[in-house]
Amino acid sequence: MKKCKLFFNFEKEEKWLQDMASDGWRLQSVMFTYTFKKSKPESAVIRTDFHVFSSRSRYLDYLTLFEDCGWKHIAGYKSCGMQYFIRTRDDASEDIFSDAASKAGKYKRAADMWLSLFATYLAFSATLFLNSSVGMRWSYVTNPRSAFFTPDIWSRTGAAFWKAFLIESPFAFFRIFSPVILFICVVLFGIFTVAFLLQYRKYKNKWTEQINTGNNS
Amino acid sequence: MNRDTNLPLTETTYYVLLSLFEAAHGYAILQKVEALSDGQVRLAAGTLYGALENLEKQKMICQIPGDDPRRKIYGITEKGRTILTLDYERMRSLINTTDKYLLKAGDQYEEV
Repeated sequence: MKKCKLFFNFEKEEKWLQDMASDGWRLQSVMFTYTFKKSKPESAVIRTDFHVFSSRSRYLDYLTLFEDCGWKHIAGYKSCGMQYFIRTRDDASEDIFSDAASKAGKYKRAADMWLSLFATYLAFSATLFLNSSVGMRWSYVTNPRSAFFTPDIWSRTGAAFWKAFLIESPFAFFRIFSPVILFICVVLFGIFTVAFLLQYRKYKNKWTEQINTGNNS
Repeated sequence: MNRDTNLPLTETTYYVLLSLFEAAHGYAILQKVEALSDGQVRLAAGTLYGALENLEKQKMICQIPGDDPRRKIYGITEKGRTILTLDYERMRSLINTTDKYLLKAGDQYEEV
C-alpha cells in the first residue's frame, strides 16, 4: 500500500508510522511516498534520523553502529537524508538520541538541506523569469490563452482549431505549469526550512535549560 | 583569559574523546563510555554518531584504517588531546578554586 503524506515534524511522523505498524502496516520504503506491507499488528518503536552521506563506507559504518545498538534500518537512502529505524532489542534505548542537543542537531541538518534547496530553486526561478529568451512568464498562468502562440488560434473553429490546439497544447501546458511547479517547490522548501529551524530552536533551548539546571538526562 | 572556542566540552564530547585515547569503533566507544562513567553516561546511537561526525569535522578525532569494512575505527588526534587537556585543566582549576574558597571558610565547609 502506498500513502502520500507530508510532515513538518519528525516526532509526528514517527508516531504515525508506529500507528500504521500497530494496524498491521509495516513500513517498507520511502521515496516521495510511503510504501507499506501488510504484516501482523505489532507495537513497534520507530525512530528517524537525518544524515546525508558522502560515501558508501561511511553509510555502512553508520548503519552498523545502529544495528549494534539494536536498531534495524528499514527505509532511507545514502544521499536522501531521512533514515528510518525500528527497534529490534528490548534492552535498546527508548530513543536514538540520549540528549536534546543531538536531537536539535538532527533538525539543524534537515533545515540546512532544505535551505540550500530553497536557495537553489529560488535562484533558478529568478533566472528563468528574468531571462526573456527562456520566456517564462507569470502571465501564462493568469491568462492561459496567451500561452498558445499560434496566431488567432482562439478565433478558429472546428478542425482548424483542434489541429492547432493539439499541436501546441504540450508546449502551452509546459509554459503554464512550469512556473506553478517552481513556485510550489520554492514555497514548500521555504516552509520546510522554517519548520525545521523552529524545531531546532526548541530542542536547543531545551538543552540550554537542562544544562543550566544540571539535569541533562 | 583567551580561551579556546571549543571549551567547555559537553559531558558526551569529553567522554568520547577520553575513550578514544585507545582507538575503537562506534559500538565499542559506547561501551567504553558507559564503563568509564560507571554507567552514568549511556549514549544512544544517534547521539554518538552526531558527536563523532562533529568531532571529525573539528579534526579532534580521525579515522584509522582497520580490517572491518563495516565498522570504522576512530582515534583521537593531537588537536583532540590538546583540547581535552585544556578542559581537564579548566575543571581542575574550578575544583581548586572551590576547595580553596570553601576551605578558607574552615568549619563552615560542611554547612555549605
